[in-house]
Amino acid sequence: MILTGWEAVFFWVFSIAAIFAGLLTVMARNTIHSALFLISSLVSVAALFILLHAEFIAGVQILVYVGGVMVLFLFVIMLVNVGSEERGSEEIFNRPRQVTTSVIFCGLLVAALISAVNEGYQGFEKRDADRIQIATEQRLIRDKSLDKSATGSSRITNDTGRLASSLYRFASLPFEIASVLLLVAIIGSVMLARTLKQEAAVDDVDPDTLQKEFAHDPELGEVQPKPGA
Amino acid sequence: MQVFMLNFFAPAFGLIFQEVTSGRFAVAWDKAQHPDLSKFLTIGALLFIIGVAGVLTRRNIIVIFMSIELILNAANLNFIAMSRYLQDTGNVNAVAGQIFTVFVIVVAAAEAAIGLGIVIALYRNKETIWVDEIDILKW
Repeated sequence: MILTGWEAVFFWVFSIAAIFAGLLTVMARNTIHSALFLISSLVSVAALFILLHAEFIAGVQILVYVGGVMVLFLFVIMLVNVGSEERGSEEIFNRPRQVTTSVIFCGLLVAALISAVNEGYQGFEKRDADRIQIATEQRLIRDKSLDKSATGSSRITNDTGRLASSLYRFASLPFEIASVLLLVAIIGSVMLARTLKQEAAVDDVDPDTLQKEFAHDPELGEVQPKPGA
Repeated sequence: MQVFMLNFFAPAFGLIFQEVTSGRFAVAWDKAQHPDLSKFLTIGALLFIIGVAGVLTRRNIIVIFMSIELILNAANLNFIAMSRYLQDTGNVNAVAGQIFTVFVIVVAAAEAAIGLGIVIALYRNKETIWVDEIDILKW
């Protein structure tokens, strides 16, 4: 898996963009700026996925993360009031001592991880050198049978098809469980985000709690349970 | 002052000169032109560390959630890079990493939905999003 030519250039561009956007996500004062930097970091990582021949995952990343999750984040940021943070009157980081400790810890961790990755990869490279050569030759032969794209400059890959067939062949049960998980998440978030008024309207509150809250908020008394609920 | 700075910089320049002449920079430049698995894993490690630093240092609970997304994304990058490496070694079922990434994305979406629901409920009851003020479970 050695990238050459323009692929290497794009690798450096997108990886540096991802890391800078990630840093700015953590350091931005305005939460909305944070969310927008996180979106650009996710898009850069999706571009890295395309460089790694995982086009389907790149598409899913942009559709689900950028299109779904980050829009949800932006909604919630706009629902909660973060005015004091934007005006600069609040400290956005923890106490200085905690920040120093965690930055030192993270520096040690990054040094350890990078040295471990480089050492480990050298061992990998030695062990797999001949297998990589054989597999690369086989792939070059196999790629010649693929269809050419419309421009004729590249070939249409079948990586997405292989991913789909493996997904349904080896991981069909986890796939179904994931759909149940998403259903549970939808119902759970709707349950969690209801207000007391909405809960009272469907008669889903403990009567004692309702009596106690009624003392603070007379509007609650006007809410009558719907007959069908 | 100037003499001091000269004393400080002279060894550094000497070191750089030595490195250039010994060709170690040329080797590094050559490696940078051909990024391999270790480069992708390094980028994944850096993104992970940035996310961990965000979780540990920020006070805003929404930014902490976003840092968790960054961590999960770094894990996805590692999965995809390893999957590509296994494809290149001619391994059978080499797209397992990509399949796992799909599930990581699903779990991340579910986690964000539940977590943000909790944030909204919390904001309604406590009127704050600073994690150091949310301390009703603190003993």
